[in-house]
This record gives sequence, C-alpha cells and structure tokens, in this order.
Amino acid sequence: MPERLKAVRYPKLEHFNEPNVITTTADFIFSWARSHSVFPFTYGLACCAIEMLSSGFARFDVARYGMEVFRPTPRQCDLMIVAGTVNEKMAPVLKRLYDQMAEPKWVISMGACATSGGPFYDGYNVVNGVDKIVPVDVYIPGCPPRPEALFQGLLELQVKIQQHKFVAEKPAIAEAAAPDGEA
Amino acid sequence: MGLEIGTHPMSMDDIASLLAERFAAEFHHVRVQEPDTVVARCAREDLAAVARSLKEHPEVGYETLNWIAGVDHVKHFESVYHVYSWKTNTYLELHVEVPRATPEIDTVTGVWPAADWHERESFDMVGIVYTGHPDLRRILLKDDFVGHPLRKDYVDLAENHPHV
Amino acid sequence: MFDEFETPEPDEAVKLALRRIDEATARGEGSDADGLAFNEVVVNMGPQHPSTHGVLRLVVTLDGELVKDVIPVIGYLHRCKEKLAERRTYFQYIPIVDRTEYVAGINCEWAYVMTVEKLAGIRPTRRAEFIRVITGELMRIASHLVAVGTFTADLSPLGTAMVFYMFRDREVILDLLEELTGARMMFNYFRFGGVRYDLPDGWVEKCRAFLKKMPKLMREYESLVDDNAIFLQRTQGKGVITQQDVVDYGITGPNARASAVALDLRRTRPYSVYPELDFEVCTLEHGDVFDRYKVRMNEMRESVKIIEQALDMLPRGPVQVGSLRAPYVITPPPGSCYVGQENPRGEYGTYIESDGSRYPYRLKYRDPCFCNLQIFPKLLSGNKIADAVAISGSIDLVLGGIDR
Repeated sequence: MPERLKAVRYPKLEHFNEPNVITTTADFIFSWARSHSVFPFTYGLACCAIEMLSSGFARFDVARYGMEVFRPTPRQCDLMIVAGTVNEKMAPVLKRLYDQMAEPKWVISMGACATSGGPFYDGYNVVNGVDKIVPVDVYIPGCPPRPEALFQGLLELQVKIQQHKFVAEKPAIAEAAAPDGEA
Repeated sequence: MGLEIGTHPMSMDDIASLLAERFAAEFHHVRVQEPDTVVARCAREDLAAVARSLKEHPEVGYETLNWIAGVDHVKHFESVYHVYSWKTNTYLELHVEVPRATPEIDTVTGVWPAADWHERESFDMVGIVYTGHPDLRRILLKDDFVGHPLRKDYVDLAENHPHV
Repeated sequence: MFDEFETPEPDEAVKLALRRIDEATARGEGSDADGLAFNEVVVNMGPQHPSTHGVLRLVVTLDGELVKDVIPVIGYLHRCKEKLAERRTYFQYIPIVDRTEYVAGINCEWAYVMTVEKLAGIRPTRRAEFIRVITGELMRIASHLVAVGTFTADLSPLGTAMVFYMFRDREVILDLLEELTGARMMFNYFRFGGVRYDLPDGWVEKCRAFLKKMPKLMREYESLVDDNAIFLQRTQGKGVITQQDVVDYGITGPNARASAVALDLRRTRPYSVYPELDFEVCTLEHGDVFDRYKVRMNEMRESVKIIEQALDMLPRGPVQVGSLRAPYVITPPPGSCYVGQENPRGEYGTYIESDGSRYPYRLKYRDPCFCNLQIFPKLLSGNKIADAVAISGSIDLVLGGIDR
C-alpha cells in the first residue's frame, strides 16, 4: 500500500460505539418516529382511567398525536400510563407488566394517586407513588387530570423521547478494560 | 308475575311487636327506626336459629340479605346484619355481639347465600371468624397481609408495606 | 435476567381452582372421566385485561372454550376507604366518597350526605333537593352511557361506533356539571343541608336544550345495534339472572329490573322529592344480557322525563341550610343509621355509626357491584368464554365500589 494511504483512518465497526454523525442522524430519525407514534398501554386502574378513555374518544382526540393505538398487552407497547391508585396487592402485577414491556419504554404517572398516593396517602394498603416500583418519566398532577392535562404530559414525553439516543455513552471503566482496538 | 314488593304491608309498630313477640327470648331492645327499619339485638348463640326463622316467617319473611358489617367496639366486636323483607318492604337491622377474646360466630350462608362474600369481608377487615363458612379467606387484602385493619388497635406494620 | 419470564407461584385463588378440578375429577365429573386427554385449564383473566371493567381478576377454569368455573379475585383497588373515614371529619370525607363509584360520583355523594343528614337531623332546603335530583339524574344518564358504551366496546374491541357517540354525548353532560360544580368527574358538590353552588345563569336553558336532543340521540344509538344480527345472537338468552337469584344474592338495580323485579329504591323506599315526580320503573322479562342493555336505555329516557319535571318544578330559595356556608364541622349525636339510595348500578348506601365526635366511628358501604359480582360463578359457568365477556360487561361493574 502506498505510504500516503496508510495514514487514512478507515471507518471500522468499533467506531459506531461512539456518537458520530451517522448515529446522531439515526437518533434523530428514530426518535422522531418513536415520539410521534407511541403505543400506550392501557393500565387504567381507577378513576383516572375514565379520563384516559375520554381523552381517547371524539372530543379530546388522542389520535391527533399518533397515540390512539392503546394496546392491552405490554409486549406491544412503548408507554405505560399508570392511571389510578396502586396498592400493595397490585404492585407485583405492575412490576411484572413493566418488565414485560420491551425497551425502550417510558412510564407516565397520571393523577395524584399514581404520583404520590393522592387522597388515599395514609391508607394501610396504598403505595405512595408508582415511582417506588417503576421509574417514571412524566408526572401528571390532578385528581383526575383533565384530558388536556394528559395531553400536556404526552407532549412533554414526546420532547423526552426525542432526546433518546440509541448509542449509549460508554462508561469509563469499560473503556479501560477494552482488550484490543483502536477505540 | 313472580316477585312482588309490598304485598302484605304492615305498620312499623306492628312489625316490631310481631318480632318482639315471636322472638321474645332471643331479641332484646327491639325498636323502630323511621322510616322502615326495625333494629334489634340478639345473642350469638341464637343467631343460627333466628336467621332461619326470620327467613321463613310467613308474614315478614326476610328473604334477602343486604349487607353484613363487622364493627369493633373496643370491648367487643359486633356483627351487624341488614335484611330485607319483600312482603312488607321493610328492613331489619340485627346487631349480634361477639366477644373479643373468641371472635367466632355461626355463618348464615346456609340461610342467605349472599352472606358468602360479606362474611369474608368482615373476617378480612375486623377478624370475626364465621364458623361453617365454606371458604373463609381474605377477599380485599392480599393473602399474606398481617392483621385486621378495621380494628381500633390496628397499627400499620412494615411487613404489609414491602413497597415503601 | 429472565425473572420476568418465569411463571409465578400459584396464589390462593389459583390453588383453589386447581383443588376444585381435582375434587371434580375424583367425583368423576372431570373432563378426563372417560379416560381421554385432560382438558381443563386454569386461565387468569386480569387484573389487567381489555375486557374487564377495572382491575377485576377472574381465575377461569376452562374446558376447551367452555367455562367450567370462575373465581373472581378482587382487592386490587382496595384503597382503605372505610378506615380513612375514621380519620377524616364528616365534611372532609365528602371528596373521598365521590371516588367510590367514580362513574357516578354524584349519586355516591348523595347517599353519604343523606345518611349524615339523617344522623344529625339536618333537613336540606327544597331548592337543593330539586337540584340534587337534577344532577343525580344527569349523572345517571352519563353513567349509563359509559356502561352501555363500554359494554358494546367489549363485544368487539372498540369496533362499534356506539361507544364513540355515547362518549361524545356524555361530554355534553359533563360540561353542564362542570359549569355547575367546577369538576368533570369528582364533584365535591353536595353539602350537609344542600349543595355548594346554585345554578348559574343560563344553565337551565342549556340543560333543556340537551334534554330536547336526547330522544333523537337515543334513536341513533339504538339504530346502531338493535337490528344487528350478531349483537342479538351474542346477547339474547345469555347470562339469565332468575328471580330466585335476585332474592338470594341481593341483586339490585337494572340487573334486577331486567328480570321483572320492580325494585327501584326511588319508588320502594322514596327519598328526596321523588314522590312528587312522575316516572316509571323500567322492567323487562327475560333477564338476559339484551334485556339488561335495554333496561339501561329505557332508564335514560325516564331520567330525561324526571329532569324535565324537576326543572319545571324548581322552586326559588337558598341552596344551603344556614347563613352563608353549610356546617363544616358537625358532630352528629351517637347512634347509627343506614340509608340506601338508587345508584345507577343498584342499591348503594352507607351505614354510619357515630359516637358523638367529629369523626365517624364506623362507616360501611353497601355497594351494588360487590353484591352483583357474587353471582358471577353461577352466571358464567356453562357459557363460552366469549359470552363471559359479554355477560360481565352487562352486569356493569365499577371496581372502585367493589374494592372501596
């Protein structure tokens, strides 16, 4: 090989472990697509479920945000909207359903009960907030939150989804332990 | 056709005196609570026989059980039965005292099938044991819940809150 | 890593179902009594499932598609309401009562407020009584719209147009109630001795305009499903509740009235100003799924009549007892009282024992859905699993009331 060509760094597969122009473009396209076509999981437990239903129907139409596909099975969903009070009997079920969702997944905690226990905070059987069980991305206050409040939460979530990167930042320790390569 | 309501209307005082007379040995403190309820107390030993007679009484057959409540009156428990008579369109509220040390009482599921879940709930919340119940287990709380929450001395235990 | 893919240990309800299969097999009734392959399967429906109305779990024993046994497991929404009553004053508890049967909040508040008024000896004002009837019946229409809408939505998952139309019209009712009370669902509107706000200007006209449209809307709903052969086949003759069941299990509300039992607490145990209003108790004879649906539609028409009469008879006057505000802290004398009221789902009542302090000593709910749910094992056994969905939708369950 001529000398001048040896100095060129050809792209290798390992280079895709770092953010670069191809991954950031891919991030942008995939995250944009994901955020505008979220499949929510109907996890309506209590009164907030009725407001969630209302937001899906004609007056407050959630289809204009691309989120009308409420799937009843967690395996086909991206977004779990926990609408209602979670109690100790329901908590293992919630964890199990959250685990059954595929990555990337997000959780919205809708209503005062899911955020912090709500008006039932001092009940002996009530979990004070669903974030004690699963990580929550957006909290929507209200008892029950109006459908417009739910939409504001969904729009905030869209902004959050658009910041999702599918190439993670490599932690320092893994880099030091990399056995080979020119990373 | 079939089920009629109020076919033998009677005044509340008549019903109260009829019951006081028929169950003179078993009922204490029979009184009328307007507009349409007779309230009475009964001892727990008499409950099984009284329940059967109340249901099958020809004039005021209390055929439907509305609800059963367990109440904790610190010194004793109480099991309250609220039953409905279709013929007279009136109610009877029967209070039965249950001692706190041995909170057992006969089941009435043989008389009123609706008592099944109501007794389970009373057992779950207050801890009154209904002997003879076909399937007495917790209904509203999780199976390994410790304690009976509607007792006045219930303290929130850490075991009942694994997700804190 | 694969924890979430492992089957959890069977809990009490599933163990009970398995025990019952073993007992039936031992008695010779199991599906392998002929020495054929074992067919019975225990399947879990819920607590999260598209066709159960709320977090109801049904442990179903299936023989192929035939349901042999159902064990309902409830308590997934148990929010300790009866214990909370002992720590809140009577007045502070009103918003919590709203959230019992959350689809029909006004009627729930009404039963609780009536009980406390009876205990404390407070009589509401006459104008407030009429406003209570108007809002209660509006809530009854809204609740039946949800009930029938979600029932038809269950039959084919969100495939029927009916649920969209019904929710569209429910929004009009919620607008009326929001203008009056400030909230769409949890109203916190009733007070001891009356209601919180008087009717705003123009409210009566808007209400009348909505009521005028209702007959046409009802015809529109019925034109969507009543002639549909598949709907009729799936609903007629299924899930029959007999009159003996009504007596044995304490079934009330439209479920009882569809079985030719004229049990309507507005007539049999009259309260408020219902004795002065003229309406019929809607009953039908067969007691199947179709009749329960039809009874609810007919009740919506009767509610329209009631509201029109109440608007005509609305007297002038204050809407609260007392000077400017209803009593915030009341201490009813020691005693106990039970008042049952005709909720859209049946007889809903509260039993309150008072010891003379500001807090109730014991509050117990008589919930219609809790009593109606007891009949499930009997009603669903022997039907196919698809019929089970239709039948459970027609019983109209709201888990907030069942679990409290």
